[in-house]
Amino acid sequence: MFRYEVLFLTVPEITKDESEAIRTHFSKVIRAHKGSLISFDRWGKYRLAYPVNHNDYGVYFLARLEVDGENKEALLASIKEIFVFKFNTLIPKHIVARLDATAPLEYKRPASLEDNPQDIDSFLKRNEMEGLIKKGPVRKQPDFKNRTPEVDVVAEYDETEAE
Amino acid sequence: MTKKIKLKISARLLKKKFRKKAAGSKKQCRFTNNPAMAADLNYKNIDLLLKFLTERGKILPSRISGNSSKYQRILSCEIKKARIMALLPFCATEY
Repeated sequence: MFRYEVLFLTVPEITKDESEAIRTHFSKVIRAHKGSLISFDRWGKYRLAYPVNHNDYGVYFLARLEVDGENKEALLASIKEIFVFKFNTLIPKHIVARLDATAPLEYKRPASLEDNPQDIDSFLKRNEMEGLIKKGPVRKQPDFKNRTPEVDVVAEYDETEAE
Repeated sequence: MTKKIKLKISARLLKKKFRKKAAGSKKQCRFTNNPAMAADLNYKNIDLLLKFLTERGKILPSRISGNSSKYQRILSCEIKKARIMALLPFCATEY
């Protein structure tokens, strides 16, 4: 048996349905070549080292699979087809790497933006500066839907001034 | 009676000896001595790979990091894979 892993980068606006569609199509292709999908992990959102297709952010996915020696090359060719032709608008980059079949499946990955968020409040919490977090009363958001029309009042005022 | 014998050593050799002492012990490969670390050497493990990059994003030479040539070859391959996937920069840029 040959074990492979595919790491692919998607656009940051990817929805749950789209990622699920990629997963189902991916597993369908693997089953057609008598292989098996071991795992399909979503790493999360990352800031990229350089902009890809004018995007500074991206979402990584890691899929691992197993195949026989006979169907190996046909499967790898069809995997390339998925990324390059079918989902080319969603997936700008992918890489296929061979894995050692005897080695354990655990791996280390870099921390994503979802693991340690970059906003101000979480920064203050991480550095034990919680006293600086504003705890005052929450300011009421103006209710735009049910607001009273003020346009009529302005119109009346204009009329009086004209006289 | 014992006679004191004065050995004549050239100034160049003395300097060389001093330089060797000042340099400290010989650099050792971090991967050959630590098989667990060698198993973690992967293009996904960015925290490890970042130790072998300069500030500008260049790969450190083994002359400085002390890696053996076997692991230096593997390391440079993994760094290049990570660069392709935009996990590491090709060169440092002003964002």
